[in-house]
Amino acid sequence: MLDTTAIRKNLKILMDGDPWIVVDFQFVKPGKGQAFTRTRLRNMITGNAMDKTYKSGEKIGDEAIVDEVEMQFLYCQGSTYTFMDNNTYEQYELTEDQVGDAKNFLVDNMTVEALFFNSRPIGLETPNFVELEITETDPAVKGDTVTGATKPATLSTGHVLNIPLFVNEGEWIVVDTRTGAYVERVKK
Amino acid sequence: MRSGFSSKNVFPPDFSQVLKSRHKILSKIRNFFNARDYLEVETPVMVKCPGIDPYIEPISSGEAYYLSTSPELHMKRLLSVGIDNIYQIARAFRSEESGDLHNHEFTILEWYRTGSDYKDIMLETEALIAFVFDADGLDKKKINTPFKRITVDELYEKAAGWQPSTKWDEDRYFRDWAEKVDPYLKTANAVFVMDFPAPLSALSKIKDNGRVCERFELYMQGVEIANAYSELTGVAGHENYFKKALKRREELGKEKYDIDGGFMDAVNRGIPESGGIALGIDRLVMLLLNKNKIEDVIAFPEIRL
Repeated sequence: MLDTTAIRKNLKILMDGDPWIVVDFQFVKPGKGQAFTRTRLRNMITGNAMDKTYKSGEKIGDEAIVDEVEMQFLYCQGSTYTFMDNNTYEQYELTEDQVGDAKNFLVDNMTVEALFFNSRPIGLETPNFVELEITETDPAVKGDTVTGATKPATLSTGHVLNIPLFVNEGEWIVVDTRTGAYVERVKK
Repeated sequence: MRSGFSSKNVFPPDFSQVLKSRHKILSKIRNFFNARDYLEVETPVMVKCPGIDPYIEPISSGEAYYLSTSPELHMKRLLSVGIDNIYQIARAFRSEESGDLHNHEFTILEWYRTGSDYKDIMLETEALIAFVFDADGLDKKKINTPFKRITVDELYEKAAGWQPSTKWDEDRYFRDWAEKVDPYLKTANAVFVMDFPAPLSALSKIKDNGRVCERFELYMQGVEIANAYSELTGVAGHENYFKKALKRREELGKEKYDIDGGFMDAVNRGIPESGGIALGIDRLVMLLLNKNKIEDVIAFPEIRL
């Protein structure tokens, strides 16, 4: 049985037979007062969201066992995303809701981890850091590596984020999928 | 995609600017207090008695010591020997506190003014915040003074539909705080929440026939920035508080620490009438720089250790 110290983003909790994922959480503690963790949970099967506040130390349920299966992302048509199991060549479909924020980091033929609960595909697991190509941004400003100024850029997946001025179109960068933010430039 | 990438030494892209702004804010704070004839003091990081607040857990540092959870008791010991109008920018350490607004190690600005009370400290806090917000290089963020003032009873009446000081229920109070009051406070740019129910007086003066205490907290955009008191002075009040706090810790199954003998000597000698306040520097920097997480304004927070 897990308690509140286990709460982090993407933790999966079993409640009433369903896996619920922690979408967001906030540790709330007045300087002089009891601590709570406010969570926003999403049912990984129905997509329903719910807010739940736990007192620090409270039991929150067992961890939901969700299997990860390596798959190749084939294509997206409308709001349906199709993947293929790299071992069995079997194809699976996920809805846009099931793919969630991971859609910002998906490019064709990318290898991803699909999530299975009770042998059914229910979503994707995104690595914390991914390398993606910049397909659109203003030209680089030479030598400006310290001021911290940024400019908007679009990635090959369509995701838009802020990057430092010195990074060019066509270059590859590391993106933190948890925040969607730029981490560093990659030499390719 | 790649694996094995460590984020330990990765800083946000604008981090050099964050540190420069943080430096500027600290300089302005020191300028503010130095101009008002405050004395900057230092108190120990390693202490023998970490304090006994029921909801503050110390981190131990070797067998006989703890890391300081607050400079309060030592600064009051200085007040008791006539060293008054003092301020300090101190590190504090608290176990079991980690989140967007909490880092185990954080920076407190604490100051005491003799001959004043919590309302005087409120005015001085407004003046300080306005002065810091007006700093060059911070886009001269504007803040309107005076800040809004609301009593805890008024706040709970609005956000949760009841008045804690007339019908005290600790568990309900803190659960409502987390679920209703804390989100409600996010709607205010700057507000002093004042006159806490007497059971939450800690080391502040109790008034109104024991119903509420002379304590306020400053919230800015829903973030707790500061906590202030008209300081408790008498021996009986301190003994009463320590007795209740230890009893509460016992009920909660928490470790009971010794009461600081040096501090009790100071209480017996006499803590002068004064107002005092602790203000979270990291959170103030967050607000000034529009950052959502405390780790965005500390060079080496938990995630980069």
